[in-house]
Amino acid sequence: MQKTNRALTPSLIVIVGILTICPVIMLFLGSFTEGLSAFGSFTLEKYVKSYSDPALGSIVANTLIFTTGSALLATILALFLAYLNTRTNIPFKGLFGLLSIVPMMIPHVLFAVSWALLLNPSNGMINLFFKQFLGLNETPFNIYTLQGMILVEALMDLPMAYLIIAPAMSAFDVSLEESSRVCGASNLRTAFRVTLPILRPAILAAITLAVVRSLASFAVPSVIGMPGRKYVLATHIYRVIATGFAPDYGMAAAVGMSVLAASITLIFLYRYLTSEGEKYVTISSRGYRPTVIDLKKAKYPLFGIVAIISFVLIVLPLVVLFYTSVVPYSMVPSAKAFSLMSWKHWIAVIKDPVSMLSLKNSLFLGVVGATLGILLSIFIAYVVVKIRTTASGILESLSFLSFSFPGIVIGIGFMWFFVYTPLYATIWALLIGYIATYLPYGVRPLSSAFVQIHSHLEESSRVCGGGAFYTMRRVVIPLLIPGIVSGWILMSTMFVRELSLSVVLSRPGTEVLAVQILRFAEDGLWGRLSALGIMMIFMSTILVVIAFFVGAKLTKVNKDR
Amino acid sequence: MEIRIRNLSKDYFSEGRKIAALDQVDLNIPANRIFTLLGPSGCGKTTLLRCIVGLETPDKGEIAIGEEIVFSREKNIYVPPEKRGLGMVFQTYAIWPHMNVLDNVAYPLQARKLPKEEIVDKVAKALRFVQLEGFEKRSATKLSGGQQQRVALARALVAEPKVILFDEPLSNLDAKLREETRKELRSFLSRLSITAVYVTHDQIEALSLSDTVAVMKNGRIVEMGTPWDIYFNSDQRFVADFIGRANIIEGKVKSAGEGFTIIDSAIGPIACQGKNEALPGRAVSVCIRPEFIKLLAGGQGKGQNIFWGHVESLLFVGNIYEGEIRIKNTSLSFQLEPTTKVKEGDEINLYFDPAHCSILFN
Repeated sequence: MQKTNRALTPSLIVIVGILTICPVIMLFLGSFTEGLSAFGSFTLEKYVKSYSDPALGSIVANTLIFTTGSALLATILALFLAYLNTRTNIPFKGLFGLLSIVPMMIPHVLFAVSWALLLNPSNGMINLFFKQFLGLNETPFNIYTLQGMILVEALMDLPMAYLIIAPAMSAFDVSLEESSRVCGASNLRTAFRVTLPILRPAILAAITLAVVRSLASFAVPSVIGMPGRKYVLATHIYRVIATGFAPDYGMAAAVGMSVLAASITLIFLYRYLTSEGEKYVTISSRGYRPTVIDLKKAKYPLFGIVAIISFVLIVLPLVVLFYTSVVPYSMVPSAKAFSLMSWKHWIAVIKDPVSMLSLKNSLFLGVVGATLGILLSIFIAYVVVKIRTTASGILESLSFLSFSFPGIVIGIGFMWFFVYTPLYATIWALLIGYIATYLPYGVRPLSSAFVQIHSHLEESSRVCGGGAFYTMRRVVIPLLIPGIVSGWILMSTMFVRELSLSVVLSRPGTEVLAVQILRFAEDGLWGRLSALGIMMIFMSTILVVIAFFVGAKLTKVNKDR
Repeated sequence: MEIRIRNLSKDYFSEGRKIAALDQVDLNIPANRIFTLLGPSGCGKTTLLRCIVGLETPDKGEIAIGEEIVFSREKNIYVPPEKRGLGMVFQTYAIWPHMNVLDNVAYPLQARKLPKEEIVDKVAKALRFVQLEGFEKRSATKLSGGQQQRVALARALVAEPKVILFDEPLSNLDAKLREETRKELRSFLSRLSITAVYVTHDQIEALSLSDTVAVMKNGRIVEMGTPWDIYFNSDQRFVADFIGRANIIEGKVKSAGEGFTIIDSAIGPIACQGKNEALPGRAVSVCIRPEFIKLLAGGQGKGQNIFWGHVESLLFVGNIYEGEIRIKNTSLSFQLEPTTKVKEGDEINLYFDPAHCSILFN
């Protein structure tokens, strides 16, 4: 036991180090290099070229507006929803749980596409509707703007912001609020003078994480920003490597370095805020329930708003995609539209070898990638939670680092790394990149699973005559299964929908679903896109359901034996 | 089975400082008795228990259970916990939440690969012993604290271990249940003839459960004896102070001889039970427990061990009054019958029973 432990920590540090530090180093070195083939010759030319680009100013400005705008909007919406759920008597509270989980199942690229289908200026369905039925000369809305990008990105980051703010709001000491009420302040005044300031760390953490997410976001900037020529840093980098005659990886790396630096700084800020938060938020063990504010007449109107948000987040994208996949071209739902419905696009997708290959590749990555990723996460979480040495602290920081990686930037780092290995342009390059970038999503649920396994549970098995291996099989693994299942589900859904890393690393033969959907969007093949998109959601859901049932079965068998 | 511990030491490092968790412990734990390790937190009692079980490895020394040496640094022997054939009840009970009562209790037998019929028999017997028949299919973690405790006990006993060890098993129960479970445990253990090692910081548990108590401090065993000896006849200030409520008065031996030894102290001369080491001139302390301070009726009396004091506080706690009394400049705790008419601020006459004034050496 002791000996294997001693070898375990360093070897994990080496593996995770290669996964997370290598691409960063390669990105750094690559930014001082002429091009992919000329590694080793030092030049500052790429920095000069990329940072003296006159277009960069407006790109940075767009990025700032886009990231802060969407982060603020997402946080305000999350605060509104969290407050309603935890502190008022709003009806149907079950909806809030759904609202925070289900949107994660819809791939970002499809969510962005569904909004483009609704609100694009030439034939967006809502636009067509207003044009036809109100007799307007022009379409009233245009999603291909910065405002459009902010709206869609904010809706996508809303569940994450909600999951940070809601627990803080339900945990804090209500007597602080009550004393404000006793002092004569109104509900509203109390909310602004007491509740919000106390929740400040959680709110700032939500904003910070939302900024990091939108900085790394590629789906919205590419699907909604690029048609309107609204470029942000992520799409700027994409343009440098994916369009034109000669992709310039050196320049992409030079720009990427600042994005990465900003992202890592923000993540450190986030970590600091969440640790500060523990000091602020007074979680009490006294077990009182927060006083519920009676909304009276505002109850149903407010619920109406929540219902609309849920509809827009969960139902609308699916309906729009399915509708688009069965009508021949963009049209407002009507009798004519229904008479023209067919499976034409579905058949075209099934007959398209590249689409089928991407389906197969994504399935492989979702199953094999998530399984390998979880296997690695089990060992990392074990070392971080159970061994607790200085070395395991290093491992924890390393495995957390990739949380800050913007996919497209780190993809360029991996590109520099993989061209020098036989892995280049293979599915394994994508697999390694995915695991490295999404490692925290596996380590987190497993760490909390390990925290719950008190050391006495293992020790008592040893005293009862079970050896180390027997203890592992009968006590540790069965107790880990819930953590393994939720980690696997998280990783697998992330991998099936992965876009930003894949647009860099995917090569002919290693196409994946999200990239293929982006190609369809660029070519305006909305029908095929929607058909493939529905298949993607379906596949992802099937994987989740299978994982869920396997987990339930495994835990049940253990109970019955 | 007897446990023999020789010269056992273990250090650990905390914030760069070396702390001795066990400091050359020599101990014989008698066979088929209930033996308790008592001490404040951090005294090394749990470390000692975990070394016996094999969950921790000492730096030096030797441990033998019966005839078998299970650990020896010199002879390079380390028997892992699963091969030591012991039973243990953990502070958290360590009931496996993914198994029902039956599986929890059957586990030690399954791990030893016993035939199925034998497992069924033995589990039924163990569950009957702890009065949990009919609970087999229940989820173990859904039981009450006391029932979980009994599941843990059944699991520790089912494989008929050579020794059973308890690591503060009652500290997670509330006060009332703790008292009941203590009585139950005492009756379970006295019906078995088994060596039991019990670790606790609770002196009432230690006194009421054990045949022998060993008091630990800073990784050493400072005193060992029957509960009665430990409570009444301890020589050591630490032990007297730690167990029960005690008034400790500094002084010097004035005269020793036939009958009582007289100690000069800040409140005047005190007649105490004589001890051989208490030679005239030696600095000692006197221990007098509150229950042996008696109220004398009437005015200011004179005589041996009679003191005049001022009642500083009086708290009614139900069965008695707990009070503080000031004699000259020394404050002492004492107790009174709930029926007495004494009030705070009264001047009263007290008598210390010399048979219960014991001399302590620091």
